[in-house]
Amino acid sequence: MKRREFIRKTGLTAGAALVAPYILPSGRLFAQTGSQIAPHVVMVMFAGGVRQQESVLQRYVEDSQNEPYPGNIMYNMLDGEAPTQKIVYGTGAGGIDPIPQILNSSLQSQGTLFSEVTALSRGHYGGLNSLLQGSNAITQGLRQKPVNPTIFEFLRRHGGYSATDTWFIGNGINNSVPLLNYSIDPGYGASYGANFFAPNITFGGACENFLGDARVYHPENELDPIYQMKYFLDNNFDNYASGLGNLGNTEDEKQQIKEFMTLMYDKTGNGTIAHPPISDSDDLKSVGYTCEVLKHFKPAMTVVNLDNVDACHSNFTEYTASLHRADHAVGHLWDYIQNEIPEMADNTIIIATPECGRNLEPNGILDANDWRSFDHSDANALRVFTMMAGPSIPQNLTIGGEGNPIGFTSDSMLTAAEILGVKSDVLNAGTLAPGTLSLFDRL
Amino acid sequence: MQVSKIISSAAIVLFIALSMSCKKKEEPLFILNNVELYPNSAAKTRVKSDEQWVSILHTNLFQSALSSNELFQIGECIASIGDKELVREVIISNFMNDDGVVMPTDEEMRADLPTFITNTYTRFLVRYPSVSEETWYANYIETNPYITPELVYFSFALSNEYLYY
Repeated sequence: MKRREFIRKTGLTAGAALVAPYILPSGRLFAQTGSQIAPHVVMVMFAGGVRQQESVLQRYVEDSQNEPYPGNIMYNMLDGEAPTQKIVYGTGAGGIDPIPQILNSSLQSQGTLFSEVTALSRGHYGGLNSLLQGSNAITQGLRQKPVNPTIFEFLRRHGGYSATDTWFIGNGINNSVPLLNYSIDPGYGASYGANFFAPNITFGGACENFLGDARVYHPENELDPIYQMKYFLDNNFDNYASGLGNLGNTEDEKQQIKEFMTLMYDKTGNGTIAHPPISDSDDLKSVGYTCEVLKHFKPAMTVVNLDNVDACHSNFTEYTASLHRADHAVGHLWDYIQNEIPEMADNTIIIATPECGRNLEPNGILDANDWRSFDHSDANALRVFTMMAGPSIPQNLTIGGEGNPIGFTSDSMLTAAEILGVKSDVLNAGTLAPGTLSLFDRL
Repeated sequence: MQVSKIISSAAIVLFIALSMSCKKKEEPLFILNNVELYPNSAAKTRVKSDEQWVSILHTNLFQSALSSNELFQIGECIASIGDKELVREVIISNFMNDDGVVMPTDEEMRADLPTFITNTYTRFLVRYPSVSEETWYANYIETNPYITPELVYFSFALSNEYLYY
């Protein structure tokens, strides 16, 4: 081989070796500019409107009902002693039996607590959007998909993550929750969206009748011809079907999801879903199915929405029970990841943030215990917290406090972006709320 | 003699003129053939709602309507899953597992492919196939022994055009 030819071939080979590994599923030529801090993020939208006084401040009924019984009813997440009297948040008649703690040490001691964070919205949907978009767009309407790109879309477009790498689990289909898996931003949108289940609906009784008895088709002899004939029809209709909002699951991914659905119907029927020890609420059941999604798909980004605490509009007793259960749900989720999913144990970061708080002053509604209820519209409704734990997260660290707010709820989105390596892409998009930082930049 | 010739000539001319002028003119008869008119695919610009889609699908497959309660429940099921194409596929395959789907047998389909293809197009897409579409489907079915009416119906129900009206 002549020297010139040798040099040319060596150069081409070296160039190809450099470029080839970075051709990503999304079609992106190069990998994300930032490096990963961890390969998995689980974000808990600890939503429904969590009043700071009953959560981080651990005042139970002392502050809200003027009864001298403070205490921590979130002992999987927070350090602190549980209330000793007026216990109504547990199980059994009157809720007198607190749910036993799952985690040996609280998430607060395992990670970092930003104990006073400012919410971007006093409303649920605006708050949820701020957690997923990193902003609260003025033009964002209810019953409208997010205006700005969500964390899922940044990850899929810039990080090369596949559709089944990103999951959003809702605890229902009300309050526009199913709209949150992708935005209407023209540069992003459905083809970069997350897969979504509202599992309490999908795997509930009624849907099993319509989804749980699917005919199984032979992949080569039957499914392939179906798709070929469909694609032929689609090609003849191509001009008119550009906006159907397909998530871009590959045929393999669709097959995986269908197998997962069949498995879930079986496990639901058998009563073997990975529910928390107590699973008497939609939030708890949603987390059980979230555990199943995590175990089956090992996604890079999983977001689960809880919101049963919104009962506080008219029933403070139920609110405390839901808050206690939301803590139980997060404890179970973290325990399950560490002990039942080896691929995600010790390399998953959990982030939990309420989407908004609740009012300082009660409304006029009394519940069965004559306890006052709380809406979410005043300055106190902007007071929340953020908890995170996992690799690279300082342990037993508390940042900020009452009267010293540090950070915004929108920080959680950018933090997830940094963990999974797309922080610079999110910053470059310019859609974040002013003042938003990664929580790593606030440590 | 001269006069009689003139009279007879005039009589002949008069006879011919009268006979021609009195001939009844035949009225043209226009008849309209019965032709069913369907929109072409270009006229379909509006997306069906989830409920419209599943309601029409059930009618196309079972030749019967869904109850309003079932329609509401299926609408919730669709809303509970993010990948709409996937959930449509699962719903169709569930319907196909029901014995009540009205469709021809494989033998009936292959015995008269042009009729089967035309009927399938009008049933699902509410239009006639173009010549190229009919040819493609006929060739595809003829050359693929695994194709059944069920698979063909599935592909039509899953098509993008079926989502529009």
